Order: sequence, then structure tokens, then C-alpha cells
Amino acid sequence: MHAALALPILVVPPRAGAAELGEVGVAVFGYKERGLMKVTEPIVWGKGRIGEDWEVAASAAVDIVTGASPQLVSNRTGTPVQTITGASIDDRRNTWDAKVSRRFGEGTVSVSRTVSREEDYISHAFGVEARYDLNQRNTTLVAGFGRSNDRVRSSDDPLLDQGRRTREYLVGVTQVISQLAAVQSTLTATRGEGYYNDPYKITFTFFPPGQGLPLLTADKRPSRRDTLAWLTRYRQHFPTAGGTLQADYRFYRDDWGVRAHTLESAWQHSFGDRWSIRPALRYYTQAAADFYSPTVSRPEPAAHSSDQRLAAFGGLSPSLKLIARFEGGTTVEATAGYMHNSRSLSAGGGSPSFETLRAYYGIVSIAHEF
Amino acid sequence: MGSHRFAFRAMAAENEIQVQGVDAATARRAADLAIAEVARIEAKYSRYRSDSVVSTINARAGGEPVAIDAETASLLAYAAACHRQSGGLFDATSGVLRHAWRFDQARVPSPAELDAVTRLIGWQRVELDGAAVRLALAGMELDFGGFGKEYAVDRAALVLREAGCESALVNLAGDLSILGPQPDGTPWQVGIRHPRREATLLATLPVASGAIATSGDYERFVEVDGVRHCHVLDPRSGCSARGFQSVTVHAGSCLVAGSATTIAMLKGRDAGLVWLRDLGLPHLCVVDDGSVVDAFSVFQP
Amino acid sequence: MRLLACVALVLAAGCAPVAPYQRGYLARPDMAFEHSAGTAKALEKTFPAKEAASGGASVGGGGCGCN
Repeated sequence: MHAALALPILVVPPRAGAAELGEVGVAVFGYKERGLMKVTEPIVWGKGRIGEDWEVAASAAVDIVTGASPQLVSNRTGTPVQTITGASIDDRRNTWDAKVSRRFGEGTVSVSRTVSREEDYISHAFGVEARYDLNQRNTTLVAGFGRSNDRVRSSDDPLLDQGRRTREYLVGVTQVISQLAAVQSTLTATRGEGYYNDPYKITFTFFPPGQGLPLLTADKRPSRRDTLAWLTRYRQHFPTAGGTLQADYRFYRDDWGVRAHTLESAWQHSFGDRWSIRPALRYYTQAAADFYSPTVSRPEPAAHSSDQRLAAFGGLSPSLKLIARFEGGTTVEATAGYMHNSRSLSAGGGSPSFETLRAYYGIVSIAHEF
Repeated sequence: MGSHRFAFRAMAAENEIQVQGVDAATARRAADLAIAEVARIEAKYSRYRSDSVVSTINARAGGEPVAIDAETASLLAYAAACHRQSGGLFDATSGVLRHAWRFDQARVPSPAELDAVTRLIGWQRVELDGAAVRLALAGMELDFGGFGKEYAVDRAALVLREAGCESALVNLAGDLSILGPQPDGTPWQVGIRHPRREATLLATLPVASGAIATSGDYERFVEVDGVRHCHVLDPRSGCSARGFQSVTVHAGSCLVAGSATTIAMLKGRDAGLVWLRDLGLPHLCVVDDGSVVDAFSVFQP
Repeated sequence: MRLLACVALVLAAGCAPVAPYQRGYLARPDMAFEHSAGTAKALEKTFPAKEAASGGASVGGGGCGCN
């Protein structure tokens, strides 16, 4: 059949997949809470294949936080309210991370490093992950281990310098169900010890007349935290409808008493080869930590926090993402989202003094594959 | 920029050309040239046209040699090479079997009918030198049906390339050639028909470049007493090939891919699978019991 | 842990294996489990900064002053 080469025809080297060598991208994230803080975050990232078996990836981001953050919870008016104290903040957080992966036949091993630096908080983390494909890649098993060393300081208290160590363990499975559907389920357990207090949060508790002087207490959390998170994700494509259903559910519990459920569903709809739109709705509900309370009782408990991130509340977050894939390998994504956390959205009872959070966020991201 | 699709009818089938990555005017011009090239080849080599080169050669079977041009001589040399490589299974003189096999009637020709025809088959009876060809016996017929469409695919692909297309696809009723990946780098998704289920895909193959050809026992066939007889006929016995429901091969040219699928079907299940493996080209087959032999990813370079 | 193993077995038992040449739909970008890199990085700390729950998908991500 080499005689075919003598004919004036087109002979092209037969190739199956395209060789995707890598990707680079930039994104900008903006977040604004009603009346409170604002975050702007530029992000860059890149990943690339080296040879047949290696892949490296890295990213960097700068969080620019301005505005105000409630630091004091006071019940001087009768009911506990969050109060903003002090000047407005102007903070920067630099993070960068890198990951190296190597393929060994049906398995892949990755090692990653993440560093996050703020004026009053530094985190160094390391992770290792092993993946293994079975069943002609219909089943993938993953196991991971991570370690994080954090250092907590305070711009208000120069003497504060405490550490925190966390170990994370992960196991998971990804299973192809049919040509159109796949599911992934991951279990992550973490054990941490060290300093968990929020150095900026204070509770000011006033007692009824005659019952004593008001108490000003600092945030005081346990020195250990064990958590468990179980995340299951489902994806199914509907060719006739022209879209894909994406559903995620996460169950979370820790030994502080927090129980949380997160459910996100989205429908990604394609219009031709270029445009897709993804409306999504995320619902979150959380039960309060054992030691959460907006006021302090006498005698003072061993652990206490009025940080409403540990309260009982629920949240709804709708979002809309628009995706455009262009010739040449460039993809542009724009996301707009809204977060609404309130006590009435909680599945169980919500904490009575929870102040409703309303925030908007937007992300624009441009990525180029080569 | 964008995706341009041109559907056209040729060789008694629905065909298409897809071009991406160029503006509409360039795509239109390239497609028109490619469609004209396919029409030229059909007019030149179709046995259904009385004025074609093939018909002229067949009319003078048993008589004087016919002068041929370089293109025809190269194609006949290719047919000769395939005949050698396949141990005589690939035979461009087997077209006369159409007189015995009528796929619009549900009957199997009798041994006598087959004998009358098989005596006119045999590539060894083709006298070919560089400039002329002669069929030794009157009644012999040359038939380019086994490779004419594949040649047209490869020629159309060349025309598209010369007209400035790099991300394009030529598809003549399931035999196709892909010039290069889509402009964003992703491969084209080629759907392979399921040999038994209507309007269902057996597979979706990611192809960035190269040609894909498929032969199957479902294209033209009759079923008599529960036995399927298809249009791929063994030139030595005149009987239908057995052992495969379909064979798909990925090669650098549609000519090579198409010949490989035909020869594999003629060799039958066991010999065919061995032969395809030795050929070293990516292939995907459905054997007679319906099970799939996937050697598509394994052989990718 | 045992619950996860049971879930995995139940899923695997009910699944028809999909051959490599049939993965056309599964390779679609909208069938990926994670968001694309830029969007994922941006959302990484958005929800955990306002909630007590965090994690579930990966390890080694480190902490921030926000939680």
C-alpha cells in the first residue's frame, strides 16, 4: 500500500487527540458586601505538560480587601448587634501555589505547595495526592494527604504570635455511569490543633440592671478541631436538550458542633460551539457551633465566640455564568453571583441575632490553551 | 471565521465538506474546488457512465489495449499493489459479480451463475504497462468501486489544503479525511455508525488528523434463510465476506484506510484481526457475534 | 468510610463500562467536576470566608485569615 504515496493525494499523519500542551489564564474577582467590605482579587495561573508523563501547574493571586468588617458584637441596645469598630481596613493577601504531577501507567502522583501571606496571617501548606484508574478509566480512585502550618498574629496586638497545625486526609472515587453521566464522591477528614481564636472579635455583654458590670470577652475557641466533609458531585449530559445538569451535595460536621449541608445545582446550556450559559443555585444551611452565642453568660464558659460565621443560618446564592470558546483555544468566562445569608433560610432554627448578609460577586476569566 | 458546512450529492450519496478557521468566502471557494474535483473523478472512473475511462477500458475487453494517462496508471498500480499485499483478495476485476448478485432481490445466486462470472475475474489477466491497459477476456470489467471514493476523498482533501484550509474535513458517505484539528486545537469527533442499530452510533472517535474509512456488512446486503450476504464479495469464490459486521481504520490517506477495511473484511474474522494488527494502523471492528475489538487508542503514534 | 465503600460498589454494579472510543460526551467541558481554573481559584475562599464549613474536594490548600 505504499504505492498510495505515489499518487497525488493528501497524506496526513493520523493523530487521535490534539496535543494539549498547556494553558495560561488571568482572572479578576470582585466581591462587595452591602455596606461592609469589598474585595478585589486579580489571579494568574498556568499549567503545562512536560514530556509524556509530567505536568506542572502554578497560580498566584492577590486579595485586596478594603472597607469595614464587624468586629464587635454588643447587646447594649438590648439585642446583640454587630458593630464596626476602628478604622476601615485595607489589607492585602498574597497567595501562590504550585503543583507537580507525574503519570505512572494508570496512576498519577501529585505534590503541591501553597503559601498564603497577610500582614497578620501566614499559611504554609503541602499536599500529596495519588490517583489510580481502573476499568478502562471508568473508575478512578484517589487518596490524598495534606499538612498545613499557619501562623496567626494581630495588627492590634503585636505580642500575639501563635501557630496552628492541620492534617488532612482524603479518599474519593470517580465513576463513569454511562456515556452521558458520571459521579464523584470524596471524603475528607481533618485534624487540627493550635490557635483558633479570632484576634479581632470581641463580645460586649450587658446584663440587666443590678446583675453586674458588662463583660468584655475576647474570642476563645477550642484548641483542637476535627472535621469531616463528604462531597458528592453528579454530572449528566442531555444531548436532545442541549445541556448538562450539574449537582453537588456536601455534608460537613466538626467537633465544634457545626453541621452543614451544601447543595448546588446548575444547568449548563450550549448554544452551538461557542456560547454556553450556566444558571446555578446554591443552598447552604448550618447548625451553630456549641460555643457560639452573641452574649456571654456568667460564669464565663471555657470556649465562646460571637462570630456569626459559627451561628445557625442558611444561605441562598444564585449565580449566572456565561462562557465563550473562541477559535485558537481562548475561553472567556464571566460569572455574576449573589449571596444572601439569613437566619430564616436555615433548615433548622436560625440564630436569633444573626444579621443578614447580602453580597454580590463577579468573576471575569480569560484562559488560553496551547 | 467560524464553521462552514457544504453538503453536496455525488457518487449516489450525501456528502459534506466542513471548513473552519477561514472566512466564508475562502471556505466557499475551497469547497467549490473540492466538489468539482470529486465530480471530475466520478465522471472519469464511474462504471455507470458510458463515457468514463473505466467504461472505455471495459468496452475494449478482449480487444485492443487502451491508452491511459498518468493518473489512471497510478491508480491501477495501486490496485496491483493491493492485490499482491492481500494475497489476491483485493481484486479490481471483481466488479462483474454485480451481474450475479442483485441486492434488491432476496436470493443467493446459484453455483452455476457464480461460475459464469468468476471465470471473468482475475487481476492476473490485466495487462498493464505504464501507458496502456488491456483486459484479456471479453466480458471482463474493471471496477474502481473498491477505491474510487477513497481516492476522491484524498484528492478533495489535497484541493482544500492547496486552497488554504488547515482545519477541514471531507466526508463522502462515511469515508473521510481530516486535514487538521479544529481551530481551538480540539480533535474532530467522528461518529461511527452502529452496524445493527439504525440511527445509533457505535463509537465517537476523536480524530485530529488523518483519514477514517469504514466497511460494513450493513451497507448493501440480502438476508436469505437468516444468513446475511453483503456487498463485499470474495473474488475467488464470488461469495460474501464473513466474520465482521464492520471494520474502521485510521490511516494517513483514505485510500489506505479504505483498502485496509476491505481486505480485512475479505480475510474474515481471525485472519483479518491478525492482519490489521500487523498493519499497525489504529482500527475498531465489530466482529460477527457483535463484540467490539478496540485497537484504536493502542496504535496511536 | 464503610458508607462510601458501599456507595462506590452500588454505583459500579449498576454501570455499563464505557469504552475509550465512546467518551465523546464525557469529554465535554461542562462534564468536568471542577470549575475552570480561574473561576475555581476565585471562588475558593468566597463561601468558606462566610461559613463554618469548608473543604471536601482537595487537600493541601492551606488556610487564610478569613475563617
